[in-house]
Amino acid sequence: MTQVPVEKKILSENQRIAAGLREGLEAAGTLSLNFIGSPGAGKTAFLEKTLSLLPRDARVAVLTGDLQTTNDAVRLARYGFPVRQITTVGACHLDARMVEEHLEGLAAQPLDLLLIENVGNLVCPTSYDLGEDAKVVVLSVCEGEDKPLKYPGIFRKAEVMILSKTDLLPYVPFDAALARRNAREINPAIEIIETSFPTGAGFDQWLGWLASRAARKPAKARAALSERAMAVSEI
Amino acid sequence: MHEMGIAASVLEAVGKELTRYPGRRAVKVGLRIGELAGVDAESVRFCFDVIVKDSALAPLELSIEPAAGDELDFAYLELEEEAIPA
Repeated sequence: MTQVPVEKKILSENQRIAAGLREGLEAAGTLSLNFIGSPGAGKTAFLEKTLSLLPRDARVAVLTGDLQTTNDAVRLARYGFPVRQITTVGACHLDARMVEEHLEGLAAQPLDLLLIENVGNLVCPTSYDLGEDAKVVVLSVCEGEDKPLKYPGIFRKAEVMILSKTDLLPYVPFDAALARRNAREINPAIEIIETSFPTGAGFDQWLGWLASRAARKPAKARAALSERAMAVSEI
Repeated sequence: MHEMGIAASVLEAVGKELTRYPGRRAVKVGLRIGELAGVDAESVRFCFDVIVKDSALAPLELSIEPAAGDELDFAYLELEEEAIPA
C-alpha cells in the first residue's frame, strides 16, 4: 500500500471559483460582503434599510439566497438597485459557483458594493468562500445570547456582528452586554453594531464601517463609498 | 447539515487525484476535519458510506482525523500496490 499526500482543501473546487471571483471583484474595486444569520435574524430587513439609505446612483447590487421563492428579491428590488434571487432548491448554503452564475450580467457597470445575503443558516454557509471581502453575521435580540458560543465558526470568521431588532429589547429577555461578551470571547476583534430597522438606530455606524472597510480597497471603491457615506450622513 | 455535499466533494476530489496515478486504485482516503469547520465527522462518514458504494471508487475506506481549527482538508490517499506486470 502506498500513501500519497494530497493536502488540499476538500472544497478546493469551490475555493478555486471563489479565488477567481475575488480577483474579478478586486480588479473592479468592488467591496463584497457575505451576510450570514439564522432564518428570521433580520438579514433581508437589514439590507433593505441599507439600500434605502444609499443614494440611487450608488453602484450597488444584491444577490439573495433562499431554498425557495423569490420573496426576498422582490422586497430588495424596491430600492432600485439590481437584485437577483439565488434559489438553492434545498441546498443549505450558497457556494461560489452559484454566485459566479448569478453575478453574470447583473450590473452593466463595475460595482462599488456587492451585498450577498446567504441562506438562513449559521453553520453551512461558514464553510463556503464566496470570494467576499468580509463575512457579516446577523444576530437578532429574539435569539439566545449564547449563539456565538453555540456556533463559534461563523462568529470567528465574521468581521462584523450586526445585533438586529434592538427596538424589541424592552420586550424580550435578551442581555445585549452578555451577547457582546460571548461574541468577543470567540472573536476579540469582531466589530459589533446594534441596529433597528424601524427606528434606523445604528445605521450611521454601519455606513461608517462600510466606508472605512471600502478604504482598504483599491482607490475606486474607496472614493465612491466614502463620498456616498458622507452624503448619507448629511441627510 | 451540508455533509452530503462534503462527502460528494470528497469523492470528486479522489477521482480527480487518481487521474495522476493511471491504472491505480484508491483503497483509503484520509481527511482532516477541524472542530470549528462546522462539519460533523460522523455525519460525513454516514453520507460517504451511502454514496461511495454506488460509485466507481467502491470499495474505498474513509479515515477522519480531528483537528483544532477550521480545517476541512483532503490529507492523503492510499493507493493499492501497482499490479506486477505478468
